[in-house]
Amino acid sequence: MAGLELLSDEGYRVDGRRAGELRKVRARMGVFAQADGSAYLEQGNTKALAVVYGPHEMRGSRSKALHDRALVNCQYSMATFSTGERKRRPHGDRKSSEMTLHLKQTFEAAILTQLYPRSQIDIYVQILQADGGNYCACVNAATLATIDAGIPMRDYVCACSAGFIEDTPLADLNYVEEAAGGPQVALALLPKSDQIALLEMNSRLHEDHLEQVMEAASKACKDVYAVLDQVVRDHVHEVTTLLGE
Amino acid sequence: MQRTEKVLQLRGLQGRSVRVVREHYLRPDVPCRSALCQAACPRDGKLLSDDVTHYVVPDWKIVQDYLEILEFPELKGIIFMQTACQAVQHQRGRRQYNKLRNLVKDARHDCILFANEFQQYCYLPRERGESMEKWQTRSIYNAAVWYYNHCLGQLPVVMVTEDEDAIREYGGETEGVFVILFKNYLDNFWPDLKAVHELYDSILQSRRERESESQENNGKEYPEHLPMEILEAGIKSGRYIQGVLNVNKHRAQMEAFVRLQGASGKETDLQSDILIHGTKARNRAIHGDVVAVELLLRHEWKGRTASLCENDTEEKAPGDTSSEPMPTGRVVGIIQKNWRDYVVTFPSKEESQSQGKNAQKILVTPWDYRIPKIRISTQQAEALQDCRVIVRIDSWESTSVYPNGHFVRVLGRIGDLEGETAVILVENGISVAPFSEAQTCEMPSSTSENPWKVNPEEELKRTDLRNTHLVFSIDPKGCEDVDDALSIRTLANGNLELGVHIADVTHFVAVNSYTDIEARARATTCYLADRRYDMLPSILSADLCSLLSRVERYAVSVMWELDKNSYEILRVWYNRTIIQSSYKLVYEVAQGLLDGDLSVVDDILELKELDERTRQQKLEELVWAIGKLTDIARHVRAKRDSCGALELEGVEVRVQLDDKKNIHDLIPKQPLEVHETVAECMILANHWVAKMIWENFPHQALLRQHPPPRQEFFSELRECASAKGFSIDTRSNKALADSLSKADDPLDPTVNKLLRSMATQAMSNALYFSTGSCPEEEFHHYGLALDKYTHFTSPIRRYADIVVHRLLMAATLKDTEVDVTVNLFSNKDLEELCRHINNRNRAAQHAQKQSTELFQCMYFKDKVPETEERCTADGVIYSIRTNGVLVFVPRYGIKGAAYLKNKEGLVISCQSDGSCVWKPGSLQRFQNRITSTTVAGESFTLSLFDHITVKVSVQSSRCHPDTIKLEIISNIPYKNTATELYQKNFHIMKTDLVKEVTRSAEEALLAQEKNRVEVIQEEHQEYCQTKGVSLYQLLEEIRDLALLDVSAGN
Repeated sequence: MAGLELLSDEGYRVDGRRAGELRKVRARMGVFAQADGSAYLEQGNTKALAVVYGPHEMRGSRSKALHDRALVNCQYSMATFSTGERKRRPHGDRKSSEMTLHLKQTFEAAILTQLYPRSQIDIYVQILQADGGNYCACVNAATLATIDAGIPMRDYVCACSAGFIEDTPLADLNYVEEAAGGPQVALALLPKSDQIALLEMNSRLHEDHLEQVMEAASKACKDVYAVLDQVVRDHVHEVTTLLGE
Repeated sequence: MQRTEKVLQLRGLQGRSVRVVREHYLRPDVPCRSALCQAACPRDGKLLSDDVTHYVVPDWKIVQDYLEILEFPELKGIIFMQTACQAVQHQRGRRQYNKLRNLVKDARHDCILFANEFQQYCYLPRERGESMEKWQTRSIYNAAVWYYNHCLGQLPVVMVTEDEDAIREYGGETEGVFVILFKNYLDNFWPDLKAVHELYDSILQSRRERESESQENNGKEYPEHLPMEILEAGIKSGRYIQGVLNVNKHRAQMEAFVRLQGASGKETDLQSDILIHGTKARNRAIHGDVVAVELLLRHEWKGRTASLCENDTEEKAPGDTSSEPMPTGRVVGIIQKNWRDYVVTFPSKEESQSQGKNAQKILVTPWDYRIPKIRISTQQAEALQDCRVIVRIDSWESTSVYPNGHFVRVLGRIGDLEGETAVILVENGISVAPFSEAQTCEMPSSTSENPWKVNPEEELKRTDLRNTHLVFSIDPKGCEDVDDALSIRTLANGNLELGVHIADVTHFVAVNSYTDIEARARATTCYLADRRYDMLPSILSADLCSLLSRVERYAVSVMWELDKNSYEILRVWYNRTIIQSSYKLVYEVAQGLLDGDLSVVDDILELKELDERTRQQKLEELVWAIGKLTDIARHVRAKRDSCGALELEGVEVRVQLDDKKNIHDLIPKQPLEVHETVAECMILANHWVAKMIWENFPHQALLRQHPPPRQEFFSELRECASAKGFSIDTRSNKALADSLSKADDPLDPTVNKLLRSMATQAMSNALYFSTGSCPEEEFHHYGLALDKYTHFTSPIRRYADIVVHRLLMAATLKDTEVDVTVNLFSNKDLEELCRHINNRNRAAQHAQKQSTELFQCMYFKDKVPETEERCTADGVIYSIRTNGVLVFVPRYGIKGAAYLKNKEGLVISCQSDGSCVWKPGSLQRFQNRITSTTVAGESFTLSLFDHITVKVSVQSSRCHPDTIKLEIISNIPYKNTATELYQKNFHIMKTDLVKEVTRSAEEALLAQEKNRVEVIQEEHQEYCQTKGVSLYQLLEEIRDLALLDVSAGN
């Protein structure tokens, strides 16, 4: 089977979505009692679990502490059963380390770290099932977990990927579309201010098309924002009804 | 955005069984694409018409096996379900799937694709344990029911299938949705479409054969092909090499070459093509297939054969191979099959009897030498004895020596001019169907009572040049489609204004109209030796878009403001205009005016009715304009030359000459300066338009490139030239042009001509491309020495020009608010289109060449070589092979091989008076000469560029095109008073040839008619039939007249 048709002439993608549509996003907050904040998020078949600890005192080497703001410590890992072929080790490989760094950059930009000098915030994310857009799912899950932990942020961080296939920008790529090897942009956005927290692109894309793809990605991020915001509101509603009647 | 979600459990087989979970989104708003729809489905794109009696839904099996039948335009209202299309994609591969996709996209076919699997109410999940086939049929039926209900039962829906179970199961389930066998469907609904039924039977038969054969499965003839994954991995690792298979036309049995493709050539240090020796190693690949090749070990490598050889000889004795061993390989798998329709001939009666009693299966011989014999099964073999027919290949099992195919349709009789021309057209894939009603309906009407007029609305939008500019056209004699005109005038500030006006075809041909689609499919007007097949309907090409004199026409104009002294271009603008050409000049007349020869004035129709004074004044104006134009053209040319432009005759005009000598037969061989003036203006316009559209649409402009040739291709040219004592410098286009013009033998003008044509052959062809798919350095046009070039000036006969026109118009409107980019092609589409146009152009050129050859053969066919004076001619040797020489005969423009050694092993030897006889002896080949030595010790030598006398005869062949045979009869130049004359009137000679053949064809027709009359008389006696002209005869006569008209027009 040489080359699946990723975008049919009628404008459908392999899974039946149209070019600008997201996969179904479902999320729950506060899934663990032990952690300060936690969230579980599904983006189609990509499933991510995030927990947040902190802000707390520096653990491990104190020398790393920053005198004017908090240190954001991230760890990204993928469950051994998350991919088609079983993974050897869940984290610490090259890809995971890179992803860890990306997460760290994203959240340093979003969390108001200057409020907590000399302290540390830990964000641990795990992918339970990988079906494309792992980074985006992680960011979205971590945002919810951070909110759950009550850590002040500038804004939600919403992430979504976009690709460019057959001269059309596609939002929120799944695994099949990612594996086809076309250009892919991952964008993390602070939706209210339209600021970009992180932008990553792999493979080659002609300069003239970049704008279109970026537009599609930021549109997708805003769609994600709408969903996340609803989740948070529902959660708060639920908690208040439980606590205060 | 509303979404429902379903998670689908699939079991994918990837090496081992892996369970894959994929999402599957369903939606209620899948458009049904029917004109009948009452719901609020979006109605953009192609719609299924509502004037059919029923809709038909083919089952997946029908789509897979009988797609060819569904392609008939008579079958209307076809709904292809997505389930069926996916089945085709998975099981029949990309080629078949693309065919299906193109069919759905084609606006001329009344069929649509319905995405049933994404429709919320059509989708059925596959149940546990249900087979794939059952599920597909169930889904398609369910979708058909939905569709019926969606259209509120206005039309019955017919599902056609081959599955008896399905009929039993679903047949009576829903009223209004019928499930029937495909065969029954064709019988009941289309009993009159004979072609469909024949095709159905033919496909069915070949399928049965295949099934029974696969059961036998003994004695494999060929090794199995490797599976795709292994091939892909092998190509990546460099173990296998990917390339296109080219079969050697002259030794189709033995030799084929694989031209390397893409990246695979980089790692391996292979420079040349790979030789595939013998049919075993070729392993069922057919000419044109993309194959994967494994190299053999070095000691198994073989050399290619340099000797001349006729096609009918079987395997030659080993040891014949002479040249260096070259990389040799064998085919391990076919990556992409490029099967097309093949023209074949049935064996004659005697031969078929020798094939045994197995009359069901017949081996037919393709017209193209490079295609192996095809086995087809048919009962009509007797009837098709003397016909050329089309067949398609279905399969080629490893157990069978020959591929299996089925019969499609009859083209015509062998040796008949019409039939043979049809063969040429089919073999080159040129479609010549007359324009359909839908297409002609789109055209504006223009009759002599009610001529077409300029629209007042358009008049406001366009710049009016009718009164301000002196516009005139210069064309060959008898030209109907005038697509370009020129103008020049002095501006108020003393500067000059040069204008090139091109017919505004895009005004009449809207994007994606039926005419546009048809023109895109044809891509170019195709000129054969005695007729032409237009790209656009004749109302456009010969009337509304032809810039005839003294009528108002729409045009697209490019205007330059030139400095009055230096002719520097100061300003340029592009506009839609209205023009009125004042003169339609002929090249010879224009040249006469330029030379100050006033005798030609009488030939100018437009000046005839005027009185003497105005006439004189007008004439002066015109003469000034032509003179100025020539001046400017010289200047522009000189500038281009200094940039290193190749001498034009060496490249384009040389080719164009080949193109044109049949179309405008009367162009003298020596080009007039006016030719060059017009050509230069066109090149200038093309160049500026190319710049304009590239600047405005940097990644979706259509340009034309001419890549610099590879130096190694010039080696033969250099060798030949050095034999005559010339040196050719091929390092740059300028050096090549200079050295070519130096290499001129004053005694023998053909030498220079031959050298130039060799240089042309060494170069690659100029191609259209999309600027988005190519780096800017590669835009260069080598032959014209321009950095950017395109085709803009002939929109009537080239589709590329139409695209360029649209680009240019969009570019000029870019600053206004109108969104102009909607009608343009994206880079990907444009790239696809360019590939298509390039292919069509190549096909049209081949067809033209073959048609010329056909005429040559028909000309010589009835002549008896021994007695006919005209069959003896002078020839020039231009290449040496081990057993013969290649000869060019200038008088007829024929190139061909002449043998020095015949099949009995005798060699040619020369008498003292120059005449030649066959004697036993041997041949010896040197760099640039060949010596034959007889046993008696006599020897004689032929070297390059020697003039010899040859006898021209035709070698006729039943299954293949006839070929011209040359025989050396003397080694001294052929002396004839007529030769000189013929040399001069080369083109006139050519015309005569065409005319004569056409005439003889007419005579044949007449003879037939006579026969018919006789038959009628007999019948009259027998049955007392009415004497005289029946309606049938009348119609036949009209048809004949039409035929005559075409040939007379040329």
